[in-house]
Amino acid sequence: MSEQALIRVRDVTKTYRRGGEELRVLEELSLEMQEGSFYALMGPSGSGKTTLLNLVGGLDRADSGEVWVGDDELNGMAGAELARWRADHVGFVFQGFNLIPVLTARENVELPLKLAPIGAKRRREQAEYALELVGLADRAKHRPSQLSGGQEQRVAIARALATDPLLLLADEPTGDLDRASADQILDLLQRLNGELSKTILMVTHDPAAAERAQTIVHLDKGRLGRLEHPAAAPTATTGS
Amino acid sequence: MALVPFKYTLRSLFVRRSATLLTVFGTGATVAVLAGVLSLNKGFEALFEAHGREDLVVFLRPGAQSEGESAFSDDRADILLKSLAEVATNASGAPLASAESFLAVRLRKTDGGETNVPIRGVQPATFAIRAGEIRIVEGRNFQPGSDEVIVGRPVSERIRDASVGDVLTLNTTPFRVVGIFEHDGPLDSEVWGDVERMRVALKRPVYNRVLAQLRPDAEVAALAARLEDDRQVPAKVQTEREYLRNQTGMLSGALQFLGFFLAVIMGTAAVFTGTNTMLSALASRVHEIGILLSTGFRPMAISLAFLLESLLLGLLGGVVGCLLALPLNGVETGTTNWQTFTEVAFAFRVTPDVLVRAVGFALILGLLGGTWPAVRAARLDPTDALRRR
Amino acid sequence: MSLKLVWRFLLSHPVRSILTCGSIVVAVFLLCVLRTTVVALGSSIEAAAANRLVVQSSVSLFVPLPLSYQPKIEQVDGIEHVIKWTWFGGYYKDPQNFFAQFAVDAAATMEVYPEMEITEGSYDAFLASRQGALIGRDLAEKYEWSVGDRVPIIGTIYPRADGGAWEFDVEAIYDSRNPAFGEQTLLFHHTYFEEVLKAEQGPEALAAGVYIMRIEPGTEPTTVMAAVDALFESGPQRVQTTTEAEFNRQFVTMFGGIPTFLSWIGGSVLFAILLAAINTMLMAGRERTRILGVMKAMGFGSGSVFALFVVEAVVLCGAGGLIGVAFAKLVETPIAVALSTMMPGFVLTTETILAGLAVAVGVGLVAALVPAIAASRLRPVEALRAEV
Repeated sequence: MSEQALIRVRDVTKTYRRGGEELRVLEELSLEMQEGSFYALMGPSGSGKTTLLNLVGGLDRADSGEVWVGDDELNGMAGAELARWRADHVGFVFQGFNLIPVLTARENVELPLKLAPIGAKRRREQAEYALELVGLADRAKHRPSQLSGGQEQRVAIARALATDPLLLLADEPTGDLDRASADQILDLLQRLNGELSKTILMVTHDPAAAERAQTIVHLDKGRLGRLEHPAAAPTATTGS
Repeated sequence: MALVPFKYTLRSLFVRRSATLLTVFGTGATVAVLAGVLSLNKGFEALFEAHGREDLVVFLRPGAQSEGESAFSDDRADILLKSLAEVATNASGAPLASAESFLAVRLRKTDGGETNVPIRGVQPATFAIRAGEIRIVEGRNFQPGSDEVIVGRPVSERIRDASVGDVLTLNTTPFRVVGIFEHDGPLDSEVWGDVERMRVALKRPVYNRVLAQLRPDAEVAALAARLEDDRQVPAKVQTEREYLRNQTGMLSGALQFLGFFLAVIMGTAAVFTGTNTMLSALASRVHEIGILLSTGFRPMAISLAFLLESLLLGLLGGVVGCLLALPLNGVETGTTNWQTFTEVAFAFRVTPDVLVRAVGFALILGLLGGTWPAVRAARLDPTDALRRR
Repeated sequence: MSLKLVWRFLLSHPVRSILTCGSIVVAVFLLCVLRTTVVALGSSIEAAAANRLVVQSSVSLFVPLPLSYQPKIEQVDGIEHVIKWTWFGGYYKDPQNFFAQFAVDAAATMEVYPEMEITEGSYDAFLASRQGALIGRDLAEKYEWSVGDRVPIIGTIYPRADGGAWEFDVEAIYDSRNPAFGEQTLLFHHTYFEEVLKAEQGPEALAAGVYIMRIEPGTEPTTVMAAVDALFESGPQRVQTTTEAEFNRQFVTMFGGIPTFLSWIGGSVLFAILLAAINTMLMAGRERTRILGVMKAMGFGSGSVFALFVVEAVVLCGAGGLIGVAFAKLVETPIAVALSTMMPGFVLTTETILAGLAVAVGVGLVAALVPAIAASRLRPVEALRAEV
């Protein structure tokens, strides 16, 4: 590849302290990911998948090493700077949906837009557009408790998309869903990757879910394992 | 009916300790205020009512509310002193009756400012009547007919020129302070001297009251009825206890009202807080309650457990409140006897009775605060509760 | 931060919001009432007129001054009027019905007390009537007396020889522009007072309680006070001349420890509601940990999360404060009427209202601080992992 990769993780080490015991989650990990690709991160519990996702999303910081997204190095940023960066560049989707129960679907989607310098009218339009993308325009005024699990997760995806982020990060997005709903979510993610060229990074336990990605990155005990290209996509990921 | 183990209640209070502490101290502050007002009232009652004697009678002019307003001319006082069959006599047959003058005199305080100090002129018979009640703790008693005074202990501490050896000037006459006395009741807020010398110095044309000790068989009511319409010497007759109770009725009533008012208002706020805490405890334990219900505990048992927890919160609040109020015990404060416009010093008295009432109040707060959450707990549907996390 | 979100959070636990707000209402109400009481206790000092001086016996409040003093005082330079002012200390029918009555030199009273405004009857009628009385508006309303009524007052200090009541004819009713000069006072003629006493007790009973003087504009009060005191330095009754404020202060200090005691109660109330508010905000903080984690992941900074709590607590407590003040305003008049004999000047001042609101908002701010600081420090990764 002549162009530089969008995500460049260099020699990243991350240690957690749990009950006086040091737990090394990532061990001098290096890895690159290309813009416009759909990656699945797999590995057993404790292999460091979620930690890697959080590092790339700027939610957490490594003990050492560098995390580059485009021209920004995240590991050197201060908390407030990082928060601003997240607002501009990433959208998160969680296993537990994490919608705000007191807000309607549309208000939930609008929430991250409050951080963008746009007026109320634009905000509303953009939120409605995002809901349309996930096929829930008709549920805009429902509260999360009035939606099914699959619908909640689609609202959460719409929320992650609302600011048109560079990266869409999903942590076990289908973990709490039945097969049918899970498939709907995965269809949606594939469509977003295909039609809107969103760069997607998804942590999953589910091999069927991982199959939908262009590249499956296996992690084991904090180190990079093998890479798979289930859809035979031309996307390249180089480990070192 | 199987009850929810008490351990659950204790554990719940401990797990949610920040909420428990905040509620307990909030209730504690409320209880402490109530206990404070109650102990103030207790101190007040102890000073006045507990020291009024039933065998002494006070004669006032009809219509007078206090001795300050009362007046008897010399000849009328003389009749009261010498001609009443109900009055006890001493060994030599002299009646145990004394005419007294009373005036609230403006004196300078040691810490600056002025206050009204009751100056009482007494006849020697007063000391016979009050034998054992008045204790000279420093110096000696005044000589009848001389320009000498004795001063109550608290007065000698608060008032300038009122220690033994000092000269206290009343209007234009200098009086030498020769002794300090103590009295368990209100009398040690006063300065005493010879009644005739006081009347001259303070230009009092009259006596203010007559005090007499009754024979054991004397009927106070009959005496009062007889003198009320007496043509020669109409007088209002009360036992000393009645007289003192009437003096303090207004302030005592005000304190009781204040206590009641504060208890209701602050209690409302405390109940609100308690309810909040218990509702939040309920919300965080819905799942657990589902398990209890599904293992066969009756809703009533769950309800009782919540009520118990709330009562326990109240009890802890009551204990904290009492602990906060205890340091008040013995603290001296002053206010005014509004009947005579004189200063009265008295102390807070945190008695067991006050503490019991305070804890009772705290338990009522706990009970009220736990009622609504307990009702809600009993209404939970077990399957629904199990599903919620 | 989104006000809508704050509002929704408040509505999501209606019972908790109402109970918390209710505690604040109760507390602010109580604080306003207590503060108003403390202020009212001192209001007679605050509201005293600078140009009124009082001559009283230096021995005792209860020792009257000879009538012969008045012409001597009038000789002192810088005095416009000197009036007699004698506490009568009577009651109407029952000792419970106690209020202030004074025997006064009626002719100059209006000049010395310009805060009185005659709103019914006429001052001239009062002056012309031998047994006439001028009464305050509250008094007239309390006992339903109107102009033309004959009012019997039983004297406790000055009982009539026949044991009956003194009788006064209501000739005029005044409103007071000075809250500390209450409207529960009855004024009648010192001349009538003297006439009765002289006939029943002899001329030696005649005296005046105090003399009140109005000094000329530009006169130095201390000069006048010293001059008057000097007149009677060697008796028969030594006098003490003070400003009206000083004169009133001696009654206020009689309340002794009561203002301190009330302030302590206020402090306890404050402490209790502060704990209640903190409790509520902590509950809110606990259950929102995950939501806050999500917001942080979205890129909301610590400041926004902080503001969310602060705004919520301030809205909740501020609303409680407003309602509490409104309740205090509601009971102001009934309490003022109930207390007016004992303690005029029970007025809910703007200052007290603002203090009440400030306390409510302040409690909100402090209560928000604990969960807000915790939340703003919360690391998003941990917040998202939290079980709620």
